[in-house]
Amino acid sequence: MTGSDTGTARLGSPRERLLGSLRRLRLPDGLALGALVVLVLVAIAAPVVAPHSATAPSGIPLSPPSGSAWLGTDEVGRDILSRLIFGLRLSLIGAVLIIASGVIIGSIIGLVAGAVGGWVDMLLMRLTDVFLALPAPVLAIAVVAAMGPSFANTLLAVSIVWWPWYARIVRGEVTAIGARPHVDAAKLAGVGRPRLWTRHLLPGAGPSVLVVASLDVGYVVLILAGLSFLGLGAPAPAPELGAMAAQGLRFLLSKWWVPVFPGVAVAVLAYTANLAGDALRDLIGDR
Amino acid sequence: MTMLILRRLAAMFVVLLVLTAAIFLLRQITPANPARVALGPQASIGAVEEYSRELGLDKPLVVQYFTYLNDIAHGDFQVSVRTRRAVSEDLAAFVPATMELALYGIMFAALGGLVLGVVSAARWRGSGVVRNVMLMGASVPSFLLAFGLILVMSRNLGWLPGTGRSSLPDMPEGPTQLLTVDAILHGRPDAFFNALRHLILPSVTIGLASAVAIGRVLRSSLHASLDSDYVRTARAKGLAERLVLRRHALRNASGPAMTMAGLQLGLMFAGVVIVEQIFAWPGIGWYTAQSIPTNDFAAIAAVTLILGSLYVIVNTAVDIAQMLADPRIRR
Repeated sequence: MTGSDTGTARLGSPRERLLGSLRRLRLPDGLALGALVVLVLVAIAAPVVAPHSATAPSGIPLSPPSGSAWLGTDEVGRDILSRLIFGLRLSLIGAVLIIASGVIIGSIIGLVAGAVGGWVDMLLMRLTDVFLALPAPVLAIAVVAAMGPSFANTLLAVSIVWWPWYARIVRGEVTAIGARPHVDAAKLAGVGRPRLWTRHLLPGAGPSVLVVASLDVGYVVLILAGLSFLGLGAPAPAPELGAMAAQGLRFLLSKWWVPVFPGVAVAVLAYTANLAGDALRDLIGDR
Repeated sequence: MTMLILRRLAAMFVVLLVLTAAIFLLRQITPANPARVALGPQASIGAVEEYSRELGLDKPLVVQYFTYLNDIAHGDFQVSVRTRRAVSEDLAAFVPATMELALYGIMFAALGGLVLGVVSAARWRGSGVVRNVMLMGASVPSFLLAFGLILVMSRNLGWLPGTGRSSLPDMPEGPTQLLTVDAILHGRPDAFFNALRHLILPSVTIGLASAVAIGRVLRSSLHASLDSDYVRTARAKGLAERLVLRRHALRNASGPAMTMAGLQLGLMFAGVVIVEQIFAWPGIGWYTAQSIPTNDFAAIAAVTLILGSLYVIVNTAVDIAQMLADPRIRR
């Protein structure tokens, strides 16, 4: 917790605290969060916002950026901007699903380890250590390659390797909170195990997990784009950003806009997510 | 001390065993039957069954796992569907190029990380800008960086080559298979510079994200050590700020950055698959990229095993090096 956070903003009802945090929000952080909201809205409203179809040709193949196709068309004549908007949607859905499943698996493992303790804790944390010691991106490539490339398998593969950090964080927070007086008070008051775990222990890990999860969005977007670049994603006509860049690679030296714009879209999404993650970390408080 | 190192090594072997088990299990879920792969699509069902028995595919999983361990211990990674050669032969041909690229990539990353860390940790007006540029560097997918470098440095300016390892017809072939090293061993400066020029763009592409990651870690540990008592003492006794930074702050802050560099070397091995494909770099990343569309799982499994093991071994080595260098870790 930094010095500026220790004032009155920490007290009061959750709503007052949130308002207090928002008032302390610096302009660049606000812009970053706003930009992420805009990207999410565009992704949700993709069918309305996109000027053309993402999978059907709408112009002359390989035409450069112009008034009718702002970012040009690809080798089939599909509008690149429209494909990027739908690709943005796929990227965000993928990132959210992977992080959500990582948080859920990690929270369960971390909570059980931290709350039960003893040999269960040791076993689960050794397992977590082993997973952390293996290179997640390399494993993800092997998992998707073994299961056969598809969007669902890619998400599954990355989720399998994505939970260990969350398990470690939740376990750390749960152990720390378990030693506090309010947990003893709850135990003395006869609160049952399920309620103790879900109402008194788990919520304490919320802020840390939220911060790490938000900082992970940009990273997951990049990994998904990389896997899709290698052909480990949805099959051909799907507007995946990485796959679009890979298919456009052969036009790099002649029609640069075909491979470059999908890469730029990935970079913009990851950069916005990283900025917003930083902003959120400052907002919730440095830990 | 010896005990600690032995325990760290034991942990490494457990992780390596888990890695082989994971790859073995993945091999079980691939739809391709190794016997069918080895005999080709024309072979009869009877012949495939016969050969499956010969390979021991009808035995219990545990027995098969130990057979697999025995095979890889003897360097047998089965046969590639695509090249019809033993995967071990393919790997021997492709590994040196990747090693050379990773070597230059991590050198660039370490150097870049040092510069970025020091520049952004110093309290001067431009450090905020540097921090923002670092965040951008962490957000750019490697393929976009490669596209940009090829378009600007190679196509528009014509300064650096954007494909392959060399453009000389008579590259000296030497003992190490690392072109820059072999060129030196053969006393061929022209070949050395040719290979070096080909290395620049791919190693910058592969090293930039790692440079940023190392720089960020170095920045935060430098902040901590610049606020410490021993730095105040060093300043108070009148040492020049540059010496304070180099001898006192940086040396004590380098531990986390070293750990990060080890982790980044591992991630670099994953990045290699994309970067080698774009730069037509004949390494195992390129080999993997070619194996993915043909569902050549024997090849992918072997590469995963090698890259994964290297990652685990490098990180263990970094940990042990730190135990030896920094008495505070030896608890």
